[in-house]
Order: sequence, then structure tokens, then C-alpha cells
Amino acid sequence: MLLELRALGKTWSIARTGERVVALDAITLDVVAGEFLILLGPSGCGKSTLLQILAGLEAPSTGGIRFPERTGTQKLTSMVFQEYALFPWRTVAENVVFGPEVRGIRRADRDATAQRLIDLVKLRGFETRYPHELSGGMRQRVALARALANDPAVLLFDEPLAALDAQTRRVLQDELARIWAETGKTFIYVTHSLEEAVLLGSRIVLMTARPGRIKEVIDVSLPRPRRLTRPEEAALLERLDGLLRDEVKQAMEAEA
Amino acid sequence: MSLSLLRKAGSAFFILAVWQVLVQTGNINELFLPAPLSVLNAMWALTVSGTLPWAVLVSLNRLVQGFVYGSLIGVVLGLLAGAIRWVEDVLDPWVAAVYPIPKSALFPLFLLWFGLGDRSKIVTIAVGVLFLVLVNTVTGVKSINPLLVKAAIDLGASRLQVFVKVILPGALPNIFTGLRLGAGMALILVFITEIEATKAGLGFLLWEAFQLLETTKVFAGVVTFGLLGVATTWLLQWLERRACPWAQR
Repeated sequence: MLLELRALGKTWSIARTGERVVALDAITLDVVAGEFLILLGPSGCGKSTLLQILAGLEAPSTGGIRFPERTGTQKLTSMVFQEYALFPWRTVAENVVFGPEVRGIRRADRDATAQRLIDLVKLRGFETRYPHELSGGMRQRVALARALANDPAVLLFDEPLAALDAQTRRVLQDELARIWAETGKTFIYVTHSLEEAVLLGSRIVLMTARPGRIKEVIDVSLPRPRRLTRPEEAALLERLDGLLRDEVKQAMEAEA
Repeated sequence: MSLSLLRKAGSAFFILAVWQVLVQTGNINELFLPAPLSVLNAMWALTVSGTLPWAVLVSLNRLVQGFVYGSLIGVVLGLLAGAIRWVEDVLDPWVAAVYPIPKSALFPLFLLWFGLGDRSKIVTIAVGVLFLVLVNTVTGVKSINPLLVKAAIDLGASRLQVFVKVILPGALPNIFTGLRLGAGMALILVFITEIEATKAGLGFLLWEAFQLLETTKVFAGVVTFGLLGVATTWLLQWLERRACPWAQR
């Protein structure tokens, strides 16, 4: 077991009204090393909050997470954000080395790491470009390489393809599957896209909205590369669609 | 492009030529508006006699010192105030109180406190520059996308590293806006602080010439101030291009 989430909860209080909102409730989950775990749910289900907690950027209100087989203080996660979050004043190569740089890795070593990762995400020749000189898809490749540069055990993705156009998204979905397979890393991937869940996930965690709970966990052992036009994929998509539709309907009724 | 350049050069040359002719034909009294060539002559004479270079050096010394001290303090305080809430709270009433005061109005006080020498002028310039740089630096820090700070922390940056590697470069374009405004302010203040209680500097040269009704010399001073302004603008633009190559449009 790589990562254990135990009875994780997060409650916000809205300052203006004093109202308390339960964003996450009793999330218990085991993450297996090397899996492509999808957190799927309607907006407002707290899946991004869950990711922030896993990244250590937010503290849970109750419960906790731990890496049972890991000791030491090195951070074990790296995040890929929907809006890329690249440093505009750094070139592609300088963005990629940011993690090793702040952790005090020797220049020669971190430059070698950067070059290897830039090759992995197929950005060779763009090392000296600034982020604003790149397309959205290329920016997200840089963000992925930057996250990999710290050699984390887990990569956390917060709807990384949501800001891209449909064509670019298709290409990057395949790229993510390839890089996941090549690196053997554990991916935890937040999305509200059913297609993405079916195309990428080795396990899909379906979440409910307000409070965010785990509704269902679905193992996906379909062969890769996956195609939505195949009957198995289509059936899974149909099933997820039904489950999610119920969830959205209930959430809307609860709000009304 | 070259046509536009031609029009600009033509405009400058035409006006100067008309001006020169009007003075030479006696339509304009040189006491009020000396001819361009007379001004040029005067500048040349002042330069070879060493008067003008010395005046420029004296003023530049005050200008550069005031500008550098003011910008350094402004940048450091601005970064701290932008990034740390309690620093902002502590500085806020003072900025709010002093920012709207024309800094030239503080000069008499600084004369009282720091004497007739260079120091009172340098302090006046520094204070004028400081507030412009400070306010723009704070704006720069606040304009940084909080997601970038989050990403830096996620990648393992310490608080100090976030400050040096995210806050500072992120605020740099706004810092340069502050520096440009500060340079303009410094030029104004160096003139104002040199018209009284001093015996040296470009402002003194200009003001003394006015009191003796040496209008040509006044113009020489004005043109030199203009050249100083152009030079500082170029220098800052060059610095900005080197420091923020990503911010070029």
C-alpha cells in the first residue's frame, strides 16, 4: 500500500454567513503504487480539496493521510494544476528545474534531469522558450515535466486538461497514458470528464456532491490504448454516466 | 516605419528652422526666446569652460544617490508589505499620510534637519522616489497569481525561496514602473532643491541664469535637463529589457 486515506474530512466555514459547509466527509481509501486513480465527481464534490490535502497544501479537518512504507521527510507528491501555474519569468528548462533547484540539487544533476524530462514530454528544442510563447498543450507538458523533476511517488492532477481545446486534449490524454506507463508513477487524477476517466483510469473513484463522499469505486482493467468507440469502453461510459447523473440530480434537488 | 521617422524628423527640423528665422529677422526678442543656434552656442561655451559638466556632475551625484537609496528602500519595504500582512498594516498609515504630500514641500524640513549640503537634497529625492517605488512594488506583489506561490511551495520552496524566486521576479515589471515614475520625480526634485540654498548643480545654473536674465543660459539648462531625462529613460528601459526579458510585448 502506497498511501492511506483514513476518515478524511474537511469542513469550511463561510465567514460572511457563519455557515458551515462539509466539503469532504469520511473519505477512506487505499492508493496502490503505480495505479492511475481517477477522482470523478460533479463540481463542488470536494475532489480538488481532496487533492490539496494530499499535496499538503491544505490541512484536513478530521482524519489523515499517511505513506505507510515511506519514512523520511521528503515530499512525496507533486501537483499539476489546471491553469499550468508555470513561472512566466522562467524558460521551459528553468521551470522544469525549479523543484530540484529549491531542494539544493547540484546544477549538473538537475540539468540532466530537466533534459531527460523535457525529452519525455517531447519538448526538445523549446528549452529556452518562455511560457507565454507556448500553446496551452505545450504549457501543460512543461508543468508535467516540472512535477516529475522532484521524482515524487505520487503525481496529483487537478483537471489538467480542462482548459484545453478538444483536439489538444485528445493528444494529451494519450500522452498522459504513455508517460504514466513509462514512468511507473502513481497518478491521482481529478476530473469531471467521463471520457477521461474511461480512457485513463486503472481505478475510478466516483464521488458524491455536498458532502463529498465516496459513492463507488470501479476497477478498470480494459486494455490500453483505450478507444471510446469500443463496446467495453462505451458500456463503462454509459454506467458512469448513469451514476453521475443520479448524483447531479440529487445535488440539485438538495439545493432546491 | 521610415516614413513615420521622416515625418518626425521633418517636424522637428521645420519648427526649429522657423524659430531660428523668426529670431534672426528680429520678430522675436532673444531675451524671451533665444534662437536654437544661440542655445547650442551657449551650451558649447558652457561645456568647454567646464561649467556645465561640473553642474551636471553635482546634480547627477544628488540624483543618483537619492534615486538609488529611495528605490532600494522602496523595493524592500514594498516586497515585505505586499507579502506580509502585518508589515502592510504597520506601513499603511504612514504611506497614506506622506504619499499625497508633494515631496518638494518637505524640502524646507529636510534643509532644517540635514543642512544646506547635498544631504538634504538627496533625502528629498530619496523620499520622493521611495513612495512611488513602494506603492508600485506593493501593487506588483499583489498582482502575482497566488497559484504560482502554491506551485512553488508544492515543489518544495521555503518561505525565503518563495520570496526570492516568486515574489521578487513576479513583482519586477511593476517595480520597473515605479522606477520609471521615480526617475521622473527625481529629476523634478533635483531641480527644485537646487534653486535655493545651494551654489552648485544644474538647477542652480539655470536659476541663477534666470535671475541675471541670461535667457540663452536658461535654455541651455533646460535642454540639458531634457537630455538627462532621455538618458535615464533609456537606461531604465535597457535595464528592464535585461531584467524582465519575459515581459516583452
